[in-house]
Amino acid sequence: MEELKHTYLEEANELLASLEKALLSLEQNPHDKELIEEVFRVMHTLKGNSSMFGFPLIAELVHDLETIYDLIRQNLFSLSRDVLNCTLAALDHLRAIVYDTEIQDSNNKIRHAKLRADIGTLLGSQQTSTQQHIEQAHAPVEQELKTVYISFEASPQIFQNGTNPLFLIAELSELGKMSAVPTISDECNDEDADFEKCYTTWSIILETTSPISAIEDVFVFVDPASKLSVSEICKAPILQRKDVAELIESHNTLDKRLEFDDISSLVNVNVKVLPNEASNPQKTGAQEVKLKTDRSTSSIRVASDKLNELMNLVSELVTTQAGLSLYVTNNKIADLEAITENVEKLSRRLRDTAFGMTLVPINHMFGRFQRMVRDIADKLGKEVEFVTEGGETELDKTIIETLTDPLMHILRNSLDHGLEVAEERVSKGKRPAGKVLLKAFYSGVHVYIQIIDDGKGLDKEAILSKAIEKGLIREGDVLSEKEIFDLIFAPGFSTAKAVTDVSGRGVGMDVVKRNITDLKGVITIDSKKDEGTTLSIRLPLTLSIIDGLLVSISDTFYIIPLTVITKCYAVKNSLLVNQFNQLIELDGRQVPFLHLREQFQYDVAEFGESQMIVVNNGEREVGVSVDTIIGEYQAVVKPLGKYYRKQDFASGASILGDGTIALVLDTAKLIELHQQQLNEKKTIDYV
Amino acid sequence: METTQKKKRILVVDDSESIRELIAIGLELQGYEIIRGVNGEDGFKQLQEHSDCNLVITDMNMPVMDGLSFLKKIRSESSYRFLPVLIITSEVMETKRREAREAGATGWITKPFANQQLYTVIKRLLN
Repeated sequence: MEELKHTYLEEANELLASLEKALLSLEQNPHDKELIEEVFRVMHTLKGNSSMFGFPLIAELVHDLETIYDLIRQNLFSLSRDVLNCTLAALDHLRAIVYDTEIQDSNNKIRHAKLRADIGTLLGSQQTSTQQHIEQAHAPVEQELKTVYISFEASPQIFQNGTNPLFLIAELSELGKMSAVPTISDECNDEDADFEKCYTTWSIILETTSPISAIEDVFVFVDPASKLSVSEICKAPILQRKDVAELIESHNTLDKRLEFDDISSLVNVNVKVLPNEASNPQKTGAQEVKLKTDRSTSSIRVASDKLNELMNLVSELVTTQAGLSLYVTNNKIADLEAITENVEKLSRRLRDTAFGMTLVPINHMFGRFQRMVRDIADKLGKEVEFVTEGGETELDKTIIETLTDPLMHILRNSLDHGLEVAEERVSKGKRPAGKVLLKAFYSGVHVYIQIIDDGKGLDKEAILSKAIEKGLIREGDVLSEKEIFDLIFAPGFSTAKAVTDVSGRGVGMDVVKRNITDLKGVITIDSKKDEGTTLSIRLPLTLSIIDGLLVSISDTFYIIPLTVITKCYAVKNSLLVNQFNQLIELDGRQVPFLHLREQFQYDVAEFGESQMIVVNNGEREVGVSVDTIIGEYQAVVKPLGKYYRKQDFASGASILGDGTIALVLDTAKLIELHQQQLNEKKTIDYV
Repeated sequence: METTQKKKRILVVDDSESIRELIAIGLELQGYEIIRGVNGEDGFKQLQEHSDCNLVITDMNMPVMDGLSFLKKIRSESSYRFLPVLIITSEVMETKRREAREAGATGWITKPFANQQLYTVIKRLLN
């Protein structure tokens, strides 16, 4: 049961998320019939689920909302902004109270009461009628004992509904003391009688305390061609009476239909005939609900720790397989080689499949932003057109989770500082509504996420003076445009003139950058005055297994991710040492390089050869020298222990097949570190 | 239910996992064998795979294929003409019920319902 509740919660959250999405699109296209249906359908499911799990408070609230949208879809109510705001507020409230189903938290209590009042005001007089309806449905009225006559003429086709009329009669008998007189029509004896048809009618006398509606409910499923009439005979039990028993007995033996008049004249009381609504079917033009097919791929839910376990096991398998490959290569066992290759192929595929499972479409996150952008724009009094692209792009679940906050922050900044107010935009010749585009796309092994606004762009002068004021740079420093923009990621930098409710939350862009760097991502900014700003985030597809190049320096192994490597060259060691400008000529081009032996403080040889690996570092290429290249390697990246945590240049470690450890190099960090060291050296030189 | 007797098989179709399981697990404890379907289309597929189902319980409001179309599809097959189909719905509107009845529903239960209520109805339908 607990587990089911858990499922309920997960479902409720999903339903609320899709409800939010539908509501926000509805705001854009308020007359979209399908969206209204969608909203209605989701609410309906939520209501049903909540009531089934015994959360009447939630069910009631959703029911009220549903009533509004029911009226809207019947064009009896207009979808105003008030209605949407109220629905969205209710949505937020529902998010909270699915965890507090009894509504015990005092804040929830207050909000709940307020929301119900608000919805009540919206619905006006409609509210009272629906409430009554519910109460009626919930409280069966206890009534005095009475005797009723029921005539049930089953239609010949009754069996085709899967109904067995005998079960109905049996169900009736549960309502009280009963006596039934079945009559079989003459047609049944004909030679061409169809055994798939029913030829029986029943006359029933029932003593019951249930209301007549309860009796009719029993027959509520029978097809409309069947005739049912329920009439009260008297307000007293009569089945005990001898004359009644005799009457019934005689009809039974004669197979003669017992009519209402027969019994009523005998008992002699007032008669009230209730027409059965089943006998006068009315065709109504109720539309068939068109349902969206976006949930057609069937899926199962898996606990995330199970997935993590799977990933761990796959990682271990990959490591073990590497050990096997190594053993085979060292011992040159030909028979085993083929098998090892197969194992390698399989483990690679297993790895890809396992990783695929942890990927979720980014859409999930985009949905939340829709709402946030709407609310913020509302608060700022700005008109914003928010567009998302590439929501189907998939990313590792953990990456998406960590990414939400930074993206939110960036969006907030774009809305608050980037976009101008409508008048200013018009005076600049732009459309009054600002546009913010959030898009995601694949590029190689990376996923790019861009936030593009068409606002006023970054103010270079303002950034510079601010940076000088904060002591980040010195007056007179010459910075490239890119370097100026990068200043906003520096710790302690914030251009907001006043701390606003929207952006200034004490979290700066430096935190954003750190979050993204933690994900092995890179964030860059590009801006043109009065044209807008583009923030690009580049992220790895997954964090834990990478394809790398295994290299060695002295007796230590390192792994360089294949994704950054452009080309490898063999170079003479004499070219690397005692260099003044740290440049080397490769393929006729001057390439700056990093002498890793020197960097890692090994002895530097003047003779022999080294391998120069050219890596892509942002816009330029940089060479990195190592002793030997061992080969391509599928590395399972493990986090480093606490002694290495401060060493930025190593993004992790991997265990090789023979048990030795290789550090995974982050070349961008390595180069940055080198530059810092150079700068320090320079300063010292000048002193 | 006697142990020697073959278990009665019930197909439970609901897009909402929690409700589906709530019904299914309850019925399993009652000694029925349960087949599950996530929507009308899936339900019909399940029905064809397990053609000896004794009863179908289906939700009305479902994506891909709703309960009503599912019901119509069941009734359009001659072999399922007499198969009892129980509809589970939170719909209180009479028109909807009528529609379901006209499409050949054997009965329905309105949400919320107590499990015991469901069992009584099922017992009656399956004798």
